[in-house]
Amino acid sequence: MKKKAYFKADEAETGLGRFKGLEVRIGTIVDDEWDEPMGPTPMPNPTDLRAWDHKLLSRYHPSYMPYCQVCCLCTFGKCDLSGDKRGACGIDIKGQQARIVLAAANIGCSAHLAHARHLVDHLIEEYGPRTDLIQGAGIEIHAPVSRLVTGMRPRKLEDASIILDYCETQLAHTLSATHTGQEGSWLDFESKVLHVGMVDQVSMEIADLVQISTLGFPKADPDAPLVESGIGMMDTSKAIILTIGHNIVPAASITDYITEKKIGSKVEVGGMCCTAWDITRRDPNAKVIGPISWQLRYIRSGMADVVVVDEQCVQTNVVNEAKKVKAPVISTSDKAVMGLPERSDDPVDSIVEELVSGKIDGAFIHDHHKVGEVATRVALAVMPKRRKMKFFPSKKQIQKMAENCKKCSECIRACPNDQPVMEAVLAAQLGNFEPLREVYQNCIGCARCESACPNDYDLHSWMVVAAQQDCKDETHMVRTGRGAIQDTEIRNVGQPIVFGEIPGVIAHVGCANYPQGGKDVHDMAEEFAKRRYIIVTSGCAAISAGHVKDENGQSIYERRSGEFDAGGVLNVGSCVSNPHIAGAAIKIAAIFAKRNLRGNYAEIADYIHNRVGAVGISWGAMSQKAASIASGFWRLGVPVIVGPHGSKYRRMLLGKAEEERAWTVYDARTGDRVLTAPGPEHLFYAAETVAEANVMTAKLVLRPNDTGKGRSIKLSHYIDIHEKYYGFFPDDVWKYIRRDTDIPITLKDKILAQMKENKWKERRIIDPTLLKEQIMGGGT
Amino acid sequence: MVMRPVPWQTGEICGPDSAKSLTKPEVLKRDLSKAKKPLLIVGSEAVTEKHGTGDMIDYAIALSNAMKMPVIATGGAIKAFLEKDFENARSMGAMELALRLQDPDWVGPSGTGPYDMVIIYGLPYYMQWTLLSSVMNFGTHLTAIALGRHYQPHAKWSFPNMKEKQYHAVLDEILKLVGGGK
Repeated sequence: MKKKAYFKADEAETGLGRFKGLEVRIGTIVDDEWDEPMGPTPMPNPTDLRAWDHKLLSRYHPSYMPYCQVCCLCTFGKCDLSGDKRGACGIDIKGQQARIVLAAANIGCSAHLAHARHLVDHLIEEYGPRTDLIQGAGIEIHAPVSRLVTGMRPRKLEDASIILDYCETQLAHTLSATHTGQEGSWLDFESKVLHVGMVDQVSMEIADLVQISTLGFPKADPDAPLVESGIGMMDTSKAIILTIGHNIVPAASITDYITEKKIGSKVEVGGMCCTAWDITRRDPNAKVIGPISWQLRYIRSGMADVVVVDEQCVQTNVVNEAKKVKAPVISTSDKAVMGLPERSDDPVDSIVEELVSGKIDGAFIHDHHKVGEVATRVALAVMPKRRKMKFFPSKKQIQKMAENCKKCSECIRACPNDQPVMEAVLAAQLGNFEPLREVYQNCIGCARCESACPNDYDLHSWMVVAAQQDCKDETHMVRTGRGAIQDTEIRNVGQPIVFGEIPGVIAHVGCANYPQGGKDVHDMAEEFAKRRYIIVTSGCAAISAGHVKDENGQSIYERRSGEFDAGGVLNVGSCVSNPHIAGAAIKIAAIFAKRNLRGNYAEIADYIHNRVGAVGISWGAMSQKAASIASGFWRLGVPVIVGPHGSKYRRMLLGKAEEERAWTVYDARTGDRVLTAPGPEHLFYAAETVAEANVMTAKLVLRPNDTGKGRSIKLSHYIDIHEKYYGFFPDDVWKYIRRDTDIPITLKDKILAQMKENKWKERRIIDPTLLKEQIMGGGT
Repeated sequence: MVMRPVPWQTGEICGPDSAKSLTKPEVLKRDLSKAKKPLLIVGSEAVTEKHGTGDMIDYAIALSNAMKMPVIATGGAIKAFLEKDFENARSMGAMELALRLQDPDWVGPSGTGPYDMVIIYGLPYYMQWTLLSSVMNFGTHLTAIALGRHYQPHAKWSFPNMKEKQYHAVLDEILKLVGGGK
């Protein structure tokens, strides 16, 4: 392969000696030990896969729901784009909506990519550029996404750096397309959304690969450790360090320091959001406190003696919040300095003294080697005094304060979930705290109710007080991130997945912006795990899935296997672990169908889209990162369902079942154009309720390539779930019957009647593809 | 209670156009009389929202019967209609509807369209907001009436965050206006 590359290291140990400030420019990289032929699109530019994108986008219509009808991105505006008006630059409302979607995906990708870049540069500095990248035992095809997209197989840290160079270039292109007077077509904006989503998958894969390889994480381990999780699991007899965000490096310096000094009996570390997963992947003694939404409630509880933030999804007023409970804050990322004074170059003793004495509220320390010592020493020093303090008001105090409620409803109007906050406050006036406790159960912890309250009530804190026992009862065991799926696991399940006998792979990923609490994620996962679907989890969704106990007091991770197999529930890890899910689908194509991956994106995406019954669910999707993660799955042809708040992404990708042309594919064996059932019917879909999400999930795993037996199994579940949640037999089953063998035997009479009513005709089971070049003989 | 035609969720402000305030049923008279093919959209929250001695599903059934108007239930609300033996309801996702309503030739799941009016309530506030944004911007052949209690700026007509008691009284008056509620 020929690609230009640039590599930089502050310090590099080589066979020729140690170099400082080393910069290398390479004109050509040749991986001459890899005999897999290069596919047609290594390191694709934004338009190289445009034809594939347009195939998807002609089947799945972007459906826009504008958040506002104006554009205010340049000084021509604001421009009114309502009706058929155009802005001063010429853009219309559809183009503008697509542009906003691209902006969101760019932002999301940039967060993962900058995270990956920091990790790679840091780890090269720590371990050297020639450090091996290892995903784990049983994995020949490591980094499948990178192979597929770039045509490279990253084997050393320096390879990872080269791949990130490619990603950074692509992001610059797709970001620039959102500038005034660049792209004008909604269709091409959307194509670039898919492109940047794909680039995002690569950057996340690199981020997780390098940290797995160097930081002692579980390596594709189905038996990754069970770790303690929940607010009630934190041991307040010890000093507590709370870490928040996504980047393991500063948090790892803390656990390393504690281990080195053998002071684990005096201090413990808990994480929130993805840092929680990655810190427990490195050190299973650390704890997963909760998802992103738990930040305020935990900080305000005062349990954390020091708060260490890294990057992404951090409460941006963390310094103010921590100050209220006299907990110093250490910011560690140049992306989220939080207004704190720079102390990286100061002696540790001096930083500790300033933080302990309260001279400063916090410090920005980007020298990660210092973070561990500073955070630990400060936590130990402030803990005795802090444990005597009370930070929440008592119920009596709340009752008294609540008497002055103005009954203005502003708290309800500010609540994203329309919770009856005001009614709960009025009940608290009378000493009844149960309604406040109920609000807590559905609260996403945004505290917008407080910002809106004219009395400045700390309403979120009041909810936490009302639910104190629930917080104490948050004691769960969750399985930390295992990393990739082994090739050997894929070998065992590839055939039953492609043929449909394992009815589907369902991934619960993403944020915690839930409409009615995190229990929904568990319930959805359990509904399908018990039906022998494979359930994969990551990020905050993986935490929420584990925060429900069964009648035996066990979490879903305790009672179900962590193997990639029917009925398994496996946590791959943090946000940047999501490409292991995409990677599993990609590896099915490589292992089961012997397809080449190298620079061969469209063929593999076509394979996955037509054959692998995978569905992503991000029930609490909130961020731009969630948008870019979803975009990466869309380009692979994998449908994604989000919760009702996901409608605020303001664009869905929806199929129309009756549009026959959209569901016509080539039979790769004959070249015939053949009508298939609408599967998967949609590519991006916001569900209003759990019931709707379950029905849609069961439907979206249907694929044109299902065998008769597989189709019959999938339809049985679809019908059963439809009847359970909607109360009637679905009226579109006949569309999915190709021949008698597709009919679930126990439902034959009903289905035959439906087929007759709709004048059903038998169809062949084909070898489906959207790509003419995949027809045997090349389609000429 | 704000009782003003401003978005119920304070951040959900919209663009240059916004709904007219529906404070008395008479203001709907002209649009309702002009409508030849109205469609009633009822979301999942209607199942648990009380109205009189029944719930908002009962209200939907009464309104549908009075106006001979088909119902599309979203988010699984169909189950409640079926439990009440109501046969003129079909099930669709709110987001599927948001796409389909952009098409002036769409005949609906029961083939009774194309529609010229949508009456809607019972979806989560923000989801109804986004669905109606789709209608306002791309389904301009439709007259949209939001019958939820809270102001939906993207409709043509919407209640202005009305007090509960008053709201349910106006709902009953609307039902009478179209010949129902007897």
